Amino acid sequence: MVAPATLSLRPCAPFTSHQHKLSTFTSSPCPLTVHLLPSTAGSKLASSLALKKLSYSPVKALAVDSDRTDSPEPAHQVKPKRYYFLVANAKFMLDEEEHFQEQLSERLRLFGERNREQDFWLVIEPKFLDKFPDITKRLKRPAVALVSTDGPWITFMKLRLDRVLANNFEADTLDEALAFNPVDLKFEKPQTWTAPYPKYEFGWWEPFLPPVSNSSSA
Amino acid sequence: MAATELSLVKPISPMQKLNRPMLKFSTVRLLNPSQFRVMATATDTTNTSTTPKKKFSKTEIKESLLTPRFYTTDFDEMEQLFNTEINKNLNQAEFEALLNEFKTDYNQTHFVRNKEFKEAADKMQGPLRQIFVEFLERSCTAEFSGFLLYKELGRRLKKTNPVVAEIFSLMSRDEARHAGFLNKGLSDFNLALDLGFLTKARKYTFFKPKFIFYATYLSEKIGYWRYITIFRHLKANPEYQVYPIFKYFENWCQDENRHGDFFSALMKAQPQFLNDWKAKLWSRFFCLSVYVTMYLNDCQRTEFYEGIGLNTKEFDMHVIIETNRTTARIFPAVLDVENPEFKRKLDRMVEINEQLLAVGQSNDMPLVKNLKKIPLISALVSELIAAYLMPPIESGSVDLAEFEPQLVY
Repeated sequence: MVAPATLSLRPCAPFTSHQHKLSTFTSSPCPLTVHLLPSTAGSKLASSLALKKLSYSPVKALAVDSDRTDSPEPAHQVKPKRYYFLVANAKFMLDEEEHFQEQLSERLRLFGERNREQDFWLVIEPKFLDKFPDITKRLKRPAVALVSTDGPWITFMKLRLDRVLANNFEADTLDEALAFNPVDLKFEKPQTWTAPYPKYEFGWWEPFLPPVSNSSSA
Repeated sequence: MAATELSLVKPISPMQKLNRPMLKFSTVRLLNPSQFRVMATATDTTNTSTTPKKKFSKTEIKESLLTPRFYTTDFDEMEQLFNTEINKNLNQAEFEALLNEFKTDYNQTHFVRNKEFKEAADKMQGPLRQIFVEFLERSCTAEFSGFLLYKELGRRLKKTNPVVAEIFSLMSRDEARHAGFLNKGLSDFNLALDLGFLTKARKYTFFKPKFIFYATYLSEKIGYWRYITIFRHLKANPEYQVYPIFKYFENWCQDENRHGDFFSALMKAQPQFLNDWKAKLWSRFFCLSVYVTMYLNDCQRTEFYEGIGLNTKEFDMHVIIETNRTTARIFPAVLDVENPEFKRKLDRMVEINEQLLAVGQSNDMPLVKNLKKIPLISALVSELIAAYLMPPIESGSVDLAEFEPQLVY
């Protein structure tokens, strides 16, 4: 089960996993939950991010969107959930493929507009990769995965990105699914930059990282 | 091949396609070998054929030489290609995923105007005003031509493949939205296109499904790159933001990108269009034709690009390079556009094309004009062939490509 501190944050954040979308936790008002952020998240970055995310979607997680018909389930019952992912090296996913940012932002905007909980994340060096030796042996590191509970969307993203490997797995909790090994990313400046505009800023992916993860303290 | 490329000589007229949507379907037409004779004989009359098509509320607009055409295809063949009974191995998962994506309708509430439009239009005077009107008019026509083709495909495929049919219908929704938005833009300039009239009055050009796939894929993707490049450039340089329509481009062009993905899925479902030597030759041919057409066209209208603070050639090269990188994820071969020689060839084509246009505008007799054009046309053709024959880059989707096992992700 997820740590209580993180759970209390969930209901008003747009990126709660499905199984937590229920009313059980909606009683805690958003502004307060900020203070409940586990310090294990550590970095200033994580907490400032969490703040940003909270302010992004003022809606209560209670709102169940019409096209998601999962039947309500009490949050204390742990039922494994399936996570679909695409993975490739970080350079491809975050640097070369930077216009990918537009798509993720577009989706996050839409979820906000329609009171849908976020169900997709970018995970840098995800721990679940250990379960996929066939993938890791073909993968440059550090790797970045796009993870979602929405299988068809991942199928679509595979069509778009093409040069990525795809698979899926089950996990009991969101934290477990999105656990990662901390790593510092650095990208060389591109040798030729043909665009008449600047690159998206380093770190554009931060709004899409997992909300809070205990694994980062490891 | 040479003959079909020759047809490129004609399209590059000064009033041509300003932006992607233009490129979208008119390019298709220019590439069709069967069109060549028609175009060659119709050389200087092409423009008159489009004259009576628009009704303007106030001002008269100068007629364009080549207004985008409307397209039609072999619907029976399309039905065969996507009939789920006949083709049991169609990757319906990809189509269903795409359908989901189109149903999501990211831009449902995006195309809402504000008063900035009218104000910006009123401020715009002189040649810039004219160039913007032309931009809106031709973009609108081209988006609308996409609407008509997709709409009809949606209708025709309903029985044999309801999923593919619905995607076409939803794409026609997007195109209609774009066309409508552009037409509203025209109203800021006290103009309007009568789209109902256009539908009936226009001639429809026939194009085989296979070529619709290649060309439409490219034009949707190049359209994405053009729009996003303009958007990001203007975001970084807001002083050139002369008309608010550009602010809508970021979300707008995500539609184009998704449309391109759909054609990608259509081609993957018909690997015979991707996996043999003919497919490689056609892929290169379509890439070259689309890139050259855009480059020559844009170089004819540098005022527009300079008007929004862009260097036309740099802008185009960026768009070509990015489109080519994207296209390499589906076409089995693409051009080596990052080789500096490719740009040198494009630049030589621009020079020759300028000379051709100068001959066209001179006061010589038609016969003399044609004689003067011969060496220029042959020079252009030989540049095109040389560019076509440059060593290509093997490419393709990793779901199909032979090189996939060697890839490191």
